[in-house]
Amino acid sequence: MNAVQEEPDFDPAVHRLIDLSINTYYNPYTRFDWPDSLVDEQWWMSPDLLTVFDTPFMDTMSERELMALSKYETLNFYSLNIHGIRELMIEVTRRIHSPGYEHQSEFFHHFIGEENEHMWFFAKFCLKYAGKIYPDKSVKIDTGTLAPDIANFLVFTRITIFEEIVDFFNSRMAKDESLHPIIQEINAVHHQDESRHIAFGRQLMKQLHSDLSSRHGPEEMLAVGNYVNRYIEASIQSLYNPAVYRDAGIADPYRFRRELLQQPSRQRQHDRYLKRTKEFLDKSGLLPSENAYGAN
Amino acid sequence: MAPIEIGQLEQVKDWLKARRPELTDIDVDLDLIENRIIDSLGFTEFLFFLEEVSGREITTDAQTVNLFRTLRSIRDNILTAQH
Repeated sequence: MNAVQEEPDFDPAVHRLIDLSINTYYNPYTRFDWPDSLVDEQWWMSPDLLTVFDTPFMDTMSERELMALSKYETLNFYSLNIHGIRELMIEVTRRIHSPGYEHQSEFFHHFIGEENEHMWFFAKFCLKYAGKIYPDKSVKIDTGTLAPDIANFLVFTRITIFEEIVDFFNSRMAKDESLHPIIQEINAVHHQDESRHIAFGRQLMKQLHSDLSSRHGPEEMLAVGNYVNRYIEASIQSLYNPAVYRDAGIADPYRFRRELLQQPSRQRQHDRYLKRTKEFLDKSGLLPSENAYGAN
Repeated sequence: MAPIEIGQLEQVKDWLKARRPELTDIDVDLDLIENRIIDSLGFTEFLFFLEEVSGREITTDAQTVNLFRTLRSIRDNILTAQH
């Protein structure tokens, strides 16, 4: 495993994040006051986060239908979190206390612990109020052709981008008083922890990227950029789940999904979700500028 | 085993060719993974397409990836599998 090149201000920044983790620690198993049940007819997700938002379907669907959709979209969102957390825990666990990650391992302990707790409360919500978690449809196809240093960069890039997209939703729902308190609270707590994880992830991305371009040619670096753009696109597409539309009573879920993804107005919403991430990627020079998301 | 609808395999081929326009045809035994016609990032979209074509929800795990390796296997294991 390639050693991570230290940036001068990395250690103090990591120590600050570790201190924050310790000082804001909470017991997730006692933190929430779980109601016995949640009524179906309510907003389970902020309406402006639904995949139909900013499309004609917002007008043609009744409020009741939209609320039903919001229930299954929130379950899909938590399910995506569960599966995403599983992947990131595997990847971080694989690296903790291994050569090259000596300076990150202390933070990794907090990261793994907190992510395990997040996975628990997301799963608890799904199972308690809907009796299911949407299955993970993704499959890892490993062709084993990536150089180890590129693979490491992409692992932490995937983790950080995934957390950034999720955090957009969390921070919005944490403040949405039209949502049930348990939904607000889960999102608020996750947002609080994820802001530390994102800060760490961004630092690590910069470090892992710092000498990639000296070791790899422009063609390989372009391939890295393309991969990141495709990962962002796939992450956005995962919000549109045909099983959600089926559960919400929509007759032709696959066609419905296609229609939504083809709506030009949805791109505006995707840009909202990705604004902060895109600015970071552009500003930090982690992607070739001609390759930046949205410039394809 | 349910009969395969005529044209389902052609639909799958067309879907893949639309994403890889440089391919004029895809042999039923061509390894779609080794030849990078499908990969991790494009897999879920492909799966949703296959669900729509086959009319059933498909479950996946690390072991099932080989079922998607060739068009022949997709035809025999995904498109003609019991509903």
